[in-house]
Amino acid sequence: MTRILEAKGVSKWYGQVIAVNKVSFSVGPGVTGLLGPNGAGKSTLMKLITGQLRPSQGELTLWGERIWNNYPLFYRMGFCPEQDSFYDRMTGAEFVAALLRLHGFSETEVNQRTDSALQQVNLVEARDKKIGAYSKGMRQRIKLAQAVAHDPELLVLDEPLAGMDPVARKETIRFIRILGKEGKCVIVSSHILHEIEAMTSNILLIHNGQVLAEGDVHDIRDLIDKHPHHIYIRCSEPRRAAELLVAFPDVVSIRFHPESNALTLESRNPDEFYSRLPGLLLRHEIALEEITSPDDNLQAVFHYLVK
Amino acid sequence: MTGRFRIAKGWRDMKTIAYLTLDTLFWSKKTIFVVFISLVVLGMAVLGRLVLSYNWIRAPFTPAQVFSTLMSTAVIHFMVVFVTLFYGTALISEEVEGKTLTYLFLRPIPKPAIMVGKYLALVWTSVLLVLPTVVFSYLILYLRDDLRPFWEDAGVLGKDIGIVFLALLAYGAFFSLLGAWLKHPILAGLIYAFGWEGIVSYLPGFTRKLTVTHYIQSIFPHENAPASLAMLFGERTQAPEAVSTLLLMTALFLAAACLVLREKEYVLEQ
Repeated sequence: MTRILEAKGVSKWYGQVIAVNKVSFSVGPGVTGLLGPNGAGKSTLMKLITGQLRPSQGELTLWGERIWNNYPLFYRMGFCPEQDSFYDRMTGAEFVAALLRLHGFSETEVNQRTDSALQQVNLVEARDKKIGAYSKGMRQRIKLAQAVAHDPELLVLDEPLAGMDPVARKETIRFIRILGKEGKCVIVSSHILHEIEAMTSNILLIHNGQVLAEGDVHDIRDLIDKHPHHIYIRCSEPRRAAELLVAFPDVVSIRFHPESNALTLESRNPDEFYSRLPGLLLRHEIALEEITSPDDNLQAVFHYLVK
Repeated sequence: MTGRFRIAKGWRDMKTIAYLTLDTLFWSKKTIFVVFISLVVLGMAVLGRLVLSYNWIRAPFTPAQVFSTLMSTAVIHFMVVFVTLFYGTALISEEVEGKTLTYLFLRPIPKPAIMVGKYLALVWTSVLLVLPTVVFSYLILYLRDDLRPFWEDAGVLGKDIGIVFLALLAYGAFFSLLGAWLKHPILAGLIYAFGWEGIVSYLPGFTRKLTVTHYIQSIFPHENAPASLAMLFGERTQAPEAVSTLLLMTALFLAAACLVLREKEYVLEQ
């Protein structure tokens, strides 16, 4: 594998707090998902990769060159930040064009590239609208547009799907997959497994500032499936529901929440559980008010890996 | 990359950053405040003109005296300081606060070029807002049937414009440094402008030479109360030395701001 990004024992701390702890990994062409819960250190790692922060320890290189204060690297890199911040007075097209000018393109090229980037993220119709008036999803897409407009070889996308509606989300996932297939190196972060799964099978699992696992997402999926899932159910008759649910072979524990008419159970086979549940509740006329999964399952895998 | 190409690219980068900054600086709420200060200064000039025209005060005043007082108190020690304080400290700190600095830092531009580009925008905006106030104040006070004083003092106006420009450069560079360096630069800037500059420049001895005000007073072409008071305790610095010191201070403050921007890690809160 051609190594584009390489981290060797990289740590970053803010005062007494360690955000990234001695991580070593390498990333090549294609899409790599940086997966971890909120506060895992994903954003810090992204900032180190994009040269916004300097490693406290260790070595982080892109194409074999150090990143901090190495501005020529930004000809080859695009970054979509997590934070929802813009020059709000600008229109979408002005924003992308202004940032393209900083790459030294001619005015004709700036205009061509702006059009192309806006087309790629489906924002052509809103190009002359002020960013301040954009919806959250549109703002995410304009961030993506400025990241890809100069056609970089490496794209670093920090939670790019946050706030997008399902259609935009699907389009963006497709777009990211295409970029990966074109041979670009795309590093994309998320705390939601299925988002990452939809984009790539290659992941980097990070928790408490450490890389816990690196490789194929299916291995992680297997781990998750082996691990009991928490399912929270609020219904009209939680005790009766519990009596019925305890008979399911995959249910390993049930906990009541009398104050909220609810229960939390652990299932070893959530897919099967979800397929059986509606029929059971219908047959016994138990009204379902809410069903959620309190953990995103990743948390369980993190616990498993840490233990 | 050849040296010539590097210079051309550096200049182009700074210009692009300056244009980008101009828009955000000029259309900020600060401009309303600066325009207000400018109107206050012009209002004072109008008041001075009325006093001169209708002899409201028995003591004989000349346009030169009123203009001198206006320049010394309202323009240089107030307007210039406030304009550069508000705009200079905002150059980087507002990008940090608004979390837009990322967009600039992740472009193939050296960080010092970002700083200098922003500083150029600050100078341009300040000049655009302050110098017309100086010129209009002069016109308000001097334009009358007898145009002799107008032409006689035109050279003084030229010097004043030059001094205001030098003051904008020096204060602008210093406040840009504070904005790049500190998280809350306005307070530090106020303490500097009205504490250090306001007090130390009137103290006897060498310390006064550590203020921008001292060098401005040294080349100020009017006799006025604050300058006379300051000069009671020490010699003026010779004009060429004062001008070159102001330019040197500007260069040093700006270089320090570039260094801070290059080396500091800006942690943008999520």
